[in-house]
Amino acid sequence: MSIDNQISEPILEVENLKLVYGDYLVLENISFTAKKGECLVVMGASGCGKSTLLKSMIGLLPPAYGKILVDSEDLWSVETEHQSLILKKYGVLFQGGALWGSMNLVENVSLPLQAYTNLPEPEIEDLARYKLNLVGLSGYGDFYPAQLSGGMKKRAGLARAMSLDPDILFLDEPSAGLDPINSHRLDNLINELKDSLGMTFVVVTHELSSIFDIADNSIFLDGQTKTLLDFGPPCNLREHSEHKRVRSFLHRGNPVK
Amino acid sequence: MNLEKKNDNGNVWLQARQGDSRDSYVQFILEGDCVICILQGEWSIDNNSGSCVREEWNDFLSENPAINHFMFKLHSEMNWDSTLVSFLHKCRKDLQGINKTLKFDELPKGLFQLLELSKPTIIEQKQNEFSLSLELIDETINYFRKAVISFFEFFGEWVLSVCRLLMGRSQARFSDFANSCRACGASALPIVTLISFLTGLTMAFVGSVQLEKFNAKIYVADLVCLAMVREMGALMVAIIMAGRTGASFAAEIGSMKLNEEIDSLRTFGISPMEFLILPRTLSLLLMIPLLTIYADVVGILGGLVVGTVVMDFSIIHYFEQTQVALIGMWEVYSGLLKSVVFGLIIGLVGCYKGLNSGNDSSSLGRAVTAAVVVAVTWIVISDALFEITFSYLDLR
Repeated sequence: MSIDNQISEPILEVENLKLVYGDYLVLENISFTAKKGECLVVMGASGCGKSTLLKSMIGLLPPAYGKILVDSEDLWSVETEHQSLILKKYGVLFQGGALWGSMNLVENVSLPLQAYTNLPEPEIEDLARYKLNLVGLSGYGDFYPAQLSGGMKKRAGLARAMSLDPDILFLDEPSAGLDPINSHRLDNLINELKDSLGMTFVVVTHELSSIFDIADNSIFLDGQTKTLLDFGPPCNLREHSEHKRVRSFLHRGNPVK
Repeated sequence: MNLEKKNDNGNVWLQARQGDSRDSYVQFILEGDCVICILQGEWSIDNNSGSCVREEWNDFLSENPAINHFMFKLHSEMNWDSTLVSFLHKCRKDLQGINKTLKFDELPKGLFQLLELSKPTIIEQKQNEFSLSLELIDETINYFRKAVISFFEFFGEWVLSVCRLLMGRSQARFSDFANSCRACGASALPIVTLISFLTGLTMAFVGSVQLEKFNAKIYVADLVCLAMVREMGALMVAIIMAGRTGASFAAEIGSMKLNEEIDSLRTFGISPMEFLILPRTLSLLLMIPLLTIYADVVGILGGLVVGTVVMDFSIIHYFEQTQVALIGMWEVYSGLLKSVVFGLIIGLVGCYKGLNSGNDSSSLGRAVTAAVVVAVTWIVISDALFEITFSYLDLR
């Protein structure tokens, strides 16, 4: 949204990506770019391959064809050790939070900090509690995941994904299951992190209100043609997309001209 | 301490000593009872420089208790990430704890917003801490009392559901029962064969060494046969099934609980006891005696191999001696009776532990471990009770 973002360089480039499960084609001819410090939203009806695309971008599903470039390095053609270096730039929030059940929230958020930094233990704990506060979980640091609701688990998962101040944060349905206040708070947080720390966000979501609040750019995946239907800022797509399905999606399914 | 003081036009300056190798600094400028804290340098998660600043901050706070107002500023040229925000967050917490005022107004907008977002919304809640007291003893006794009561409730419910099954009013499905029979019966044959064959073989070897001293080698057949049918057949099968089937019951039902599948059954008015637990326990109850008979035969064959190959008895001679040893079918029935009780223990403990596992993956692991350990313990205890009872009733 800021002028800086428009002139900044690309951090994530996807070129001609084709994704399959065995013989089943999920997506093909997918090409788009995310620039440093922007928020890119991946939209599409359920079952169109949004989460599959995310899986491929975070190094869990090799593509059948095409490239995923992170800072101009191809994630899927480098050596495994180098790939893990690239993956260190990532923070990932999974749909259910994917917290480690045997650790409390502070330990969950601290583990990546213990593994990858040499900060002293009290500082790590402070950082972990600060991250938990950011997502509205102040006071829940000593709780275990089993003692939390689904929405709280998701927010704790986000705190963990942010623990290492990653360059790119991938969020899979971050606001699903959150109440409107926390959902709004999360959108604010995304915007603040983007503006102040220059983090890049790739967000998979259907929440329209959230899309218009956070997205600088968006891509629309289509389950019928199994490809990327449109690319651009969501406000533009809502009014001016040449595809009726995209306009209808962004108008909450209401009939469009 | 890493601070030095200088006077400059009436102001007292405290600042980090220059020339050290760290990247981040804090400078304190005193103005009456107000202090301006200027943060500078490189604040990054990758270097450990923030901890010196934290020390300085703590020292400054303890040495200057009279200062009531704090203001934070950022040096114009500095890089920062979450470590700086976390430091300021800690400063805010420290100062609020001792009723001092602080101002973040002059911080850059982004940093100020992040601090606003991370303001605590509710009071810190502490989990109960471990303490050794009378309450703890009371809690422990209560825990065991509840565990015993809940197991007997479970057992009672199981008996009632068996009654409903006998009256033809059960929701259990025959296909579940058949699948479970295959999983805990036929699929267990290879491991049961191997273990019981080797048990028979080992007993024959151990026995032959001792019996040779009395020139009574042929009684190896008696030893192997009686030990297998009275004791080892049932016991070995029970231990195999506790590790194999009991653990799988606990894991299967525990993960169903984790995925809220059990709750969804209840919302449809389907009893998990009848739908999940009854087919599993009954199939085990049916399969365990059959596997025990099979294990008895294979164990005797193990003894036969030693008897014929190592001790040079003929097959007929060995079998005749085995027949003589088995004076009545009670020897076999007593083993089968034990095996039915063992099967009941394994099935009920496995399902009970699965159904009572917690809502996280680690408690599922604990449930599976407990299912095996508790089942094996009760198998051995009940085996001992059986033998004591049989010998008092002159049944041996």
